[in-house]
Amino acid sequence: MNTASRTRLAVLGTLSDLHRQPIAYDLNCLRALVADLAPDLLCAEITREAWEGGDLSAAAVEVREALAPVVAATDIVLVPVLPTPTHYADFTPATGWRRDVARAFNRALRWGQREADRPEAVNGAIFGAFCHTLCALTEMMWTAEDRAAWEAQNETLAENIVQAVRRDRGRRVLVAVQCQRKHWLAARLRRRADVELVDYWEL
Amino acid sequence: MNQTLLTVSVGAYYPLDQMALAALITELPGLQVIPLASDPPPRVLVWDPGQGEHVNLPRLVSETKVLLLVGDMESPTLSPGVAGLFSKDELPEALGVAIRQVARGDQYLSPSLALALLERGEAEAASHEIDLPTLTDRERQIFALLAEGLSNKVIASRLYLSVRTVEGHLANLYTRLGVHSRTEAALIAIQHGLASKVR
Repeated sequence: MNTASRTRLAVLGTLSDLHRQPIAYDLNCLRALVADLAPDLLCAEITREAWEGGDLSAAAVEVREALAPVVAATDIVLVPVLPTPTHYADFTPATGWRRDVARAFNRALRWGQREADRPEAVNGAIFGAFCHTLCALTEMMWTAEDRAAWEAQNETLAENIVQAVRRDRGRRVLVAVQCQRKHWLAARLRRRADVELVDYWEL
Repeated sequence: MNQTLLTVSVGAYYPLDQMALAALITELPGLQVIPLASDPPPRVLVWDPGQGEHVNLPRLVSETKVLLLVGDMESPTLSPGVAGLFSKDELPEALGVAIRQVARGDQYLSPSLALALLERGEAEAASHEIDLPTLTDRERQIFALLAEGLSNKVIASRLYLSVRTVEGHLANLYTRLGVHSRTEAALIAIQHGLASKVR
């Protein structure tokens, strides 16, 4: 229907329950931010099966308690783009020194979460570099199989986003993903000719 | 990034209903409750006439669209000047979607009310010849979902399209069918058995 050649797209990093414990992230800020941005399409980290089945139990807390309620009350259409229900925390090594190092990185990341407890901070340059570095180091502690699985999941997730863009060209698309994926995903989407990647406040 | 809030006034036969309605709409994102006599006037008036009471709408300026709340035991009727009927059996969050839809100049009918209207055949009967081959696959999909009494938002969510895209398809569809409302279009689909064909 819409034939505009490029789609404006922003990637919004969110903190989530990646450490499987309560976090200091203010979900009211995320709700207000997404409602204010009012994108046409919101690509979110939930599988199509779970979304269409109305099962939010396995979804990340920000999808369950912030994004889904905003979508229900507005014209924003949620597009589920997570290919498999595996989360970042599922890749943590179970034993050995690698587990200890990964835990140390996780403690540092939790500290970062407490400091960056608002979407503006999470998507800022300082936390972005901090999170990106720690996540890259953490991923080095994973097994080769886990790293491959994480990359494969991200590749499919990016492809699902591109499919959503191609299905409805020229719309304003917000992609809300855990901050661990933000840099990787932004780099991939920036290379797409049919996507105009912008910061979320420019959407 | 900061969008203008969509202004809404509320009115109800019972004061308690009015207060509850105002509190609910205030909590919905992107909406602002203002008095009916405001300048500029509200974009939408949400009006709850109460169970079994007559719809005594206040005098309104033409820019203000009216969304009428309807109890599930009442017979839905599209009164003149009313842009939408919202069933009280819908989830509260859906009220935000309904308000936006009528604010953009479209009609809104809760699915249960739309089906009741269509079954009663109360809307003007349509006997248009439908040139189905001229409909695109996407238009056929949307036509089928429209015939189920679904709102633009629900149609968009089912197809993973934006609401604006669905609205664009519907506008084309109305032109091709020679109708002016979703109820007429849905009637055509049902009368000609198109709903089951295109599903």
